[in-house]
Amino acid sequence: MKHVRTISVVCLLIFGMCLLPMAEVMAQPKEIILGAALPLTGGQSREGGYYKRAYELAVKEINDAGGITVKEYGKKIPVKLILYDDKSDNTTSVQLYEKLVTEDKVNALLGGYGTPLITAHTIVAEKYRTPYVNGGGATGAIYERKMKYIFGLIANIEKLTYTVMDWLVGQQDAGNLKKPLKIAQMGENTSHGKEFRQGIQARSKAAPDRFQVVMDEPFELNLKDADPLLQKVKASNADIYLVDARLADYTTIHRRYTELGLYHQVVSYGPRGSEKAARDALGAASDYIMSCNWWHKDLPIPAAKSFAQKWEKLYNEPAEWFPALGYETVRVLAKAIEDAGSLDKEKIRNALAKMDMKGSLVVGGRVTFKPNGQIDNDYVMMQNAPGGKASLIYPADIATAKAIVPIPKK
Amino acid sequence: MTIDIPALLVSAMLLAGLYATMSFGLALIYGVMKIVNLAHAGVMMWGAYAAFFFIVHLGISPFLAPLVIVPLFFFLGILMQRFIVRRVMNAPPIASLLLLFGIWLIMQNIAYLVFSGDTRAITTPYTMMTFQMFGIAISVNRLLVFCVGILALFLLQQFLGRTYMGKAIRATAQDGDASKLVGINTERVMEIAFGLGISLAGLAGSLMALIFAFDPDFGRSHLLKSFCVVVLGGLGSFVGVALGSLFLAIAEALSVLWIMPAMQDFVSFALLVIVLIVMPGGMLGLLEKFKKS
Repeated sequence: MKHVRTISVVCLLIFGMCLLPMAEVMAQPKEIILGAALPLTGGQSREGGYYKRAYELAVKEINDAGGITVKEYGKKIPVKLILYDDKSDNTTSVQLYEKLVTEDKVNALLGGYGTPLITAHTIVAEKYRTPYVNGGGATGAIYERKMKYIFGLIANIEKLTYTVMDWLVGQQDAGNLKKPLKIAQMGENTSHGKEFRQGIQARSKAAPDRFQVVMDEPFELNLKDADPLLQKVKASNADIYLVDARLADYTTIHRRYTELGLYHQVVSYGPRGSEKAARDALGAASDYIMSCNWWHKDLPIPAAKSFAQKWEKLYNEPAEWFPALGYETVRVLAKAIEDAGSLDKEKIRNALAKMDMKGSLVVGGRVTFKPNGQIDNDYVMMQNAPGGKASLIYPADIATAKAIVPIPKK
Repeated sequence: MTIDIPALLVSAMLLAGLYATMSFGLALIYGVMKIVNLAHAGVMMWGAYAAFFFIVHLGISPFLAPLVIVPLFFFLGILMQRFIVRRVMNAPPIASLLLLFGIWLIMQNIAYLVFSGDTRAITTPYTMMTFQMFGIAISVNRLLVFCVGILALFLLQQFLGRTYMGKAIRATAQDGDASKLVGINTERVMEIAFGLGISLAGLAGSLMALIFAFDPDFGRSHLLKSFCVVVLGGLGSFVGVALGSLFLAIAEALSVLWIMPAMQDFVSFALLVIVLIVMPGGMLGLLEKFKKS
C-alpha cells in the first residue's frame, strides 16, 4: 500500500513537470499591445491624422514581417495597435491614456502630438510605469520633470534656435551677413515660444560682438491684429527677423508683414515655412523664408529616402516630418521590446534608456536618448525657393542648395 | 525705438471696421430677442468656409461672394430661429445660452468632419496688395473689409429707420408686449432679426477669411472681442457698436506704446470690466448722459 502511495506521488510529480512547459506556452501572449490617443479631431487633427497613418503603416510592416521577436517567448509576436481620438483636449487625452493602461492593458505607449497634450498625458505613463515614446513633443519642459518612462524622438526647441544661430555665424563668417546682427524676435506665448526666445537670447548674450536682440516680444495664439507687433519690428530697425509661430499665426503675420512692406536679410518662422498650406496662402511672399526642422524628405539617409518614397507612393503627397517621426516612434519602441527580449515594462524602459539604434531615418541616422529621455539629434535648415519648392541648406554636408542670403528684396 | 503712431492709428481704424462688422449681428439679436448668440462664433467660422468654397472652389469674385453669402446665411438664420431657438424663447436665459453654445459645438464638429482641422487661407489677386497714402502703407484687403463694414452699418440703419419691418424690429426691441398690442407680428419680426443677425455674422466671417488664416476653431477669440465691442458700445445699439469698435481698436493699438503686444486681450477685457461697472449703458449711454446734463 505504501509503495502504491509513493508511486502515485512520483507519477503526479512527473505529470506536473510535463504540464509545466504547456503552462508556459499557454501564458505566452498572443499579441503585443501598443496604444496611443491622438488628436484626430479638433485643432490639431491635421497633425494627429499624420501620426495615425504613420503608426498604422509601421505596425502593418512589423506584422507583415511576423511581428516583434521576443526572446523570452522564443518567437515573433504580432502587434495590436489601439488608437483613440483625444479631440485635441488635454483632459480627454489623460483619460484615454489611463484607459489604455488600466483597461486595454497595453505593453507600451506611443505618443500623442503637441506640447500641451503630451505634457498632460505623460503623467499617466509615468504614474503606471509604462514606457512611452513620442515623436511629436519637442519642448524641453516635457522632459525636465525627471520622469523615467518618457522618451522623445525630437530634439528640444532651444537646440533649434542654436542651429539657426550657428548657421547665422557661418553666414557672418562667409561675409554674407554683417557683425553684429540686429535681431527682432517674437514667439507664441507658450513654452514652445518661450524656449525659442530664450535660445536666441542666450546665444546673443554669449556673442555680443555677433548678435544684438533689439526686439523680443511674445504674442498670443490666434493673433487677430499683428500690426502693433509689426510696427515694433519696423521701429526696431533689425537686420534679421526670427519668429516662432504655428501655421495659422505664421500665415496671418507674414501676410501683414508683406503688406507693410517690411524687409529683413533673413526671415524665419522657426519650424514653420515650407508647409504647402502656408505656401499656397502666401504665394511668392513665402519665397526665401528659412525654416529649421527635425526632418526633411531629402536627407541623404537610406531610411529617410525609403520612407519618403513609400509615403509618397501610398498617399500621393510629399512626406513631412510629422509622419516620418511617427513612423520612427513605432520602430524605436519595437526595437526596445526586441532588445529587452521581454514584455516586462521595466525591461522595455531600460532598453529605451540604453537605446542605440542605427539605420534610423532621423537626422544623423542614429537614435540615442539623453538621461532625461529626449533625443539630442541635430536639426536641418531649409529655405523656400520660388515655385513652391524648398531646399536643404544646412548643415553644409547634406545641403542640396546654397542659401540665398541676404534674401532678395521684392 | 520710435513707433509710427499715425500708421498704428490708421491700422486701428481699419481694424475697427472689422470689429464692427463682426459685432453687428450679435448686437441685433441681443437687441431684439434679448438672447446672447453664442453660436455667433460658429456662424462666423462657417462664413469663412463659405467664402473659401465660393472664392477658391467656384472661382466667384471676392467682391461678389458676400452677395451669395448674406442671403444664404439669412435663410440659415430663419431656419435656426423657426425650428430651434423659438422653442426656448420663453425659457430662462440659461436655456438659450446652453442651446446656442451646443449649436456652436455642433457647427464646429461638422466643420472638422467636412473640412478637417487643416488651416486654410484665401488668396486673391489683391491679397497683400497695398497702396501708399501720406507715407502709410494701406492694405487693399483691410480697406475693403472696412468699407463693407461701413456699408453694412449704413444699410442696416436705413433698413431699421425707413422700412416697416425695420421699424417693427426697433419697436419689438424696445417693448415686445406693446408691439404685439399694436398688431406687430413679433414672431415674424424675431425670425427676420435672427436671420439678419446670422447673415451679418456670416458676412463678417467671409470678410475675415480674406485677412486671417482659419480652421474650425476660428471665431472663438473673435466672439469674445465682439462681446467687448457690444458692451463698450451699449447693448443693442448699432451706432454704439461702431463707436465701441473704434474705441477698442484704438485702445488696443496704442496700448503697445506702454505694454507688451501680448497683453492686448488684457486691455480689451479690462475695458469690458470697467465699462460694466462704471457705465453699464456703454459709450452711447455715457454720451446721452452728457447730452442730458
